[in-house]
Amino acid sequence: MMSMLTMLTLAQATDGPTPPTFWMPIGASAHASNVDSMMWWINLIMWVFLVLNTVLTVYFAWKYRHKVGTKFRTDGPDHNGPLELAWSVGPLLICVLLFVFGFIGYLDVRTPPKESYDINVTAYKWSWQFKYPNGAQSDDLVIPAGKPVRLIMRASDVLHSCFIPAFRVKQDLVPGRYTHLWFQCDYPTGMDRPTDGHHLFCTEYCGTGHSNMNRRVFVLPQDQFDAWTIKQANWLDEIPEDELYWKAGPKLYARCAQCHSLDGTKGIGPSWKGIWERVTGAGGSNGAFADGSTYSSLIGPGKQYATAEDYIRASIYNPGEHLVQGYGNVMPTFKGQINDKGIDALIGMMKKLDEFDPKTGAWLKAPPTASAK
Amino acid sequence: MTTLPARPAAPTYDTPESDNYLIHDKGIPSWLLTLDHKRIGVLYTVGVLLSFFVGGIFAMLVRTELLTPGRTIIDAETYNHFFTLHGAVMVFLVIIPSIPAALGNFVLPIMLGAKDVAFPRLNLFSYHLWISGAICTVVSLVMGSFDTGWTFYTPYSTTTTAGGVIPVIVGVFILGFSSIFTGLNFIVTIHKLRPPGMTWFRMPLFLWALYATALIQVLATPVLAITLALVVVERIANIGIFNPAMGGDPVLYQHFFWFYSHPAVYIMIVPAMGIISELIAVHSHRQIFGYRFIAFSSVAIAIFSFIVWGHHMFTSGQSSLMNTLFSAISFSVAIPSAVKIFNWICTLYKGSISLNTPMLYALAFIVLFTIGGLTGLHLATLNTDVHLHDTYFVVAHFHYVMMGSALIAMVGGLHHWWPKITGRMYNEKLGMIACAIVFVGFNITFFTQFMLGSHGMPRRYYDYQPEFQIYHVISTIGSYIMASGFLLTAMYLVQSLVSGKRAPANPWGGATLEWECASPPPYYNFHEAPKVGDPYDFSNLHWDERGEGYVTVKPPAAKA
Repeated sequence: MMSMLTMLTLAQATDGPTPPTFWMPIGASAHASNVDSMMWWINLIMWVFLVLNTVLTVYFAWKYRHKVGTKFRTDGPDHNGPLELAWSVGPLLICVLLFVFGFIGYLDVRTPPKESYDINVTAYKWSWQFKYPNGAQSDDLVIPAGKPVRLIMRASDVLHSCFIPAFRVKQDLVPGRYTHLWFQCDYPTGMDRPTDGHHLFCTEYCGTGHSNMNRRVFVLPQDQFDAWTIKQANWLDEIPEDELYWKAGPKLYARCAQCHSLDGTKGIGPSWKGIWERVTGAGGSNGAFADGSTYSSLIGPGKQYATAEDYIRASIYNPGEHLVQGYGNVMPTFKGQINDKGIDALIGMMKKLDEFDPKTGAWLKAPPTASAK
Repeated sequence: MTTLPARPAAPTYDTPESDNYLIHDKGIPSWLLTLDHKRIGVLYTVGVLLSFFVGGIFAMLVRTELLTPGRTIIDAETYNHFFTLHGAVMVFLVIIPSIPAALGNFVLPIMLGAKDVAFPRLNLFSYHLWISGAICTVVSLVMGSFDTGWTFYTPYSTTTTAGGVIPVIVGVFILGFSSIFTGLNFIVTIHKLRPPGMTWFRMPLFLWALYATALIQVLATPVLAITLALVVVERIANIGIFNPAMGGDPVLYQHFFWFYSHPAVYIMIVPAMGIISELIAVHSHRQIFGYRFIAFSSVAIAIFSFIVWGHHMFTSGQSSLMNTLFSAISFSVAIPSAVKIFNWICTLYKGSISLNTPMLYALAFIVLFTIGGLTGLHLATLNTDVHLHDTYFVVAHFHYVMMGSALIAMVGGLHHWWPKITGRMYNEKLGMIACAIVFVGFNITFFTQFMLGSHGMPRRYYDYQPEFQIYHVISTIGSYIMASGFLLTAMYLVQSLVSGKRAPANPWGGATLEWECASPPPYYNFHEAPKVGDPYDFSNLHWDERGEGYVTVKPPAAKA
């Protein structure tokens, strides 16, 4: 449904995003000005009644204050039919208007146009994955400007919720069913700096890392967007094998960083520090699984995992099978998201962890200008 | 079990100093096994206030953690436990029982001129269930606590590794029955124990409110009980009811949960409105404006409360048609709420207003409930709710209603009936100062959170964007101010027990029946059945200089 409000909004579309106000953040979608004008009207109603009620309360309380020992007044009215009817019907009319306009605006939010660009979204504890029609994947949401975008969303474990304040949209992701969300943003933000773009938050409580499920929404002009998706779909293929561990490793690790530190800090999952020594048994080091068995009893020729590489690959694709002692079964599977070349990159990184910054995961041997992004 | 002693044969009445319900029997068993509604009310009040202190400490820890983005004092997991505990303790142990079970128990039978509630033993059982529920919560803390949020949303609540989920759910289940039995008791008491002459429309408005509340308690709480039982079954027996991994539906849980928990909001606010009606009428010393509108609006709110639960789920994935219907019905709650506010303000008009601590709380309530109620409009309107849902705007909104309204009314009511309950007057000046501190601190804390939410800060966040910090700092400072106000309140109330002036029977000039018996009331409440008059007719009350209280002087022409 194309309401009058939306028509007005689209007519102003060339002005750029609406700047933040006292009440609202930056508004960058077709819905935003719709929601903001509704907010403005409700705020007006709120202020009028708040001031009216407060002034009357304070004024009456002071004017009719009583001196102890004097007689009580008896001249106050105890009811007034027409007045009481008026303040029942008056608010009712206001409520009907609010309902109708809120309903019209809501239909716009819920009804995507026929021609929309579809992006698949999966939410995990505690990260997002965005998949584009050409097979590209990203951790941050990247969308084309000036085109209706529809998110087709699912959750893999518990409830999550996708909230983009600048677009004034929000929708829960429910395990076991698909939900969807659509918006259109006409104003490119670029994606060169991490502060470019808009916030994307998880707004349905999902546990320890709930507040870390914040990502950016980058808006690119159509041509740049197309170029980005092509590059994103093929980025791993273009990297030569010998550069894989430092070019692809840190980039892939960014998703692991939520739970796995490099510097030995205990996170939601075990730290990567010393991981290669642990799994290969180098220098006599070993580790234990939650079921009591040790690394060396499972990893090695003729055992369940013939090589340490096999074990790492299995822990990424089927994380629940052998839990490291002291950690819960919370890691989602990355099957279908990280291919074998990506696994090679991560294993390569694990083997040479001393070449990476233990805080940021950046490759320390990189020349100053070409830092790994 | 305490047996009721025979009534004294000779009608030589004791003074409140020589015999009252507080000193009628002695020893701890005489309290813990008492069948006296007044003592049960006092026990509830002590329990609720202690729980409020515990819940308040969790709130302070949460606010302190939020002073800076990232870690301030505790890690993310501990933070999640603390905000969950704050919510669960405040909702289930404090606000739901605070007015009906604590103040209601004390006041309701006396307002009716009755000796006790209809089922005194059931009443004691309710209290023992409350204690059991509180013990379950403590057991849960020992077993690893819980991090599910007070809403226990599935599948998180059925899969989290926190060890205390099942004990606390059992606790909430038990607390639910405590609430149901209290509600049942009040319904029967109001139907059956009204004295001759007290028709429905001559009942004090607090009783109307307690009656409406009791209806919700009895009808809605069983749904929570069965829902939580299903969560336990899913956790223990792995039967898929709500977890989609086992074929269940998490949205079904939300429907069940809010089918109780939305009416529960009115279990909290309706009796608060009843208290405010009393406070404003008594301290304005004039006929309440629009008695019938206020009485019926309580019942209307109770009825509407059952059909608006879906407005908690506008972004949950339920159909757009359902959202539309629930939005439309939700607005209907605004009307009776607005009616009450306007009626209270009109009661002030041409009143004889005593500006004392209970009245200040009542005036604070009007302002805070106006804000809490009107911000409900933002959330009932569909397209603005999509933006505001699950942000701090919602947190601020429900704190204005739950704390700024329900709890402020409870504290106001506590001050109003404190002389009756304890027989002592508190320091009036300190009371008014503390009320002002709480009011200012509350608004600094929570008004900021409206802006935090509308700018997009999601709720239940341990870490946040640096741009939100300024609001969080202001809000935390406000919470410290508010806490100091409550600590001051605790101080002068305790002090009044030790060295407060003795309270007269009627310190405020109230016309309802509880002001006709002594302060504190005798064991049987009334030596002779009181005469029922208009609860809001103040024309026969006169200030008695020597007793420093009000006395009823019958006009010479009137026949007794």
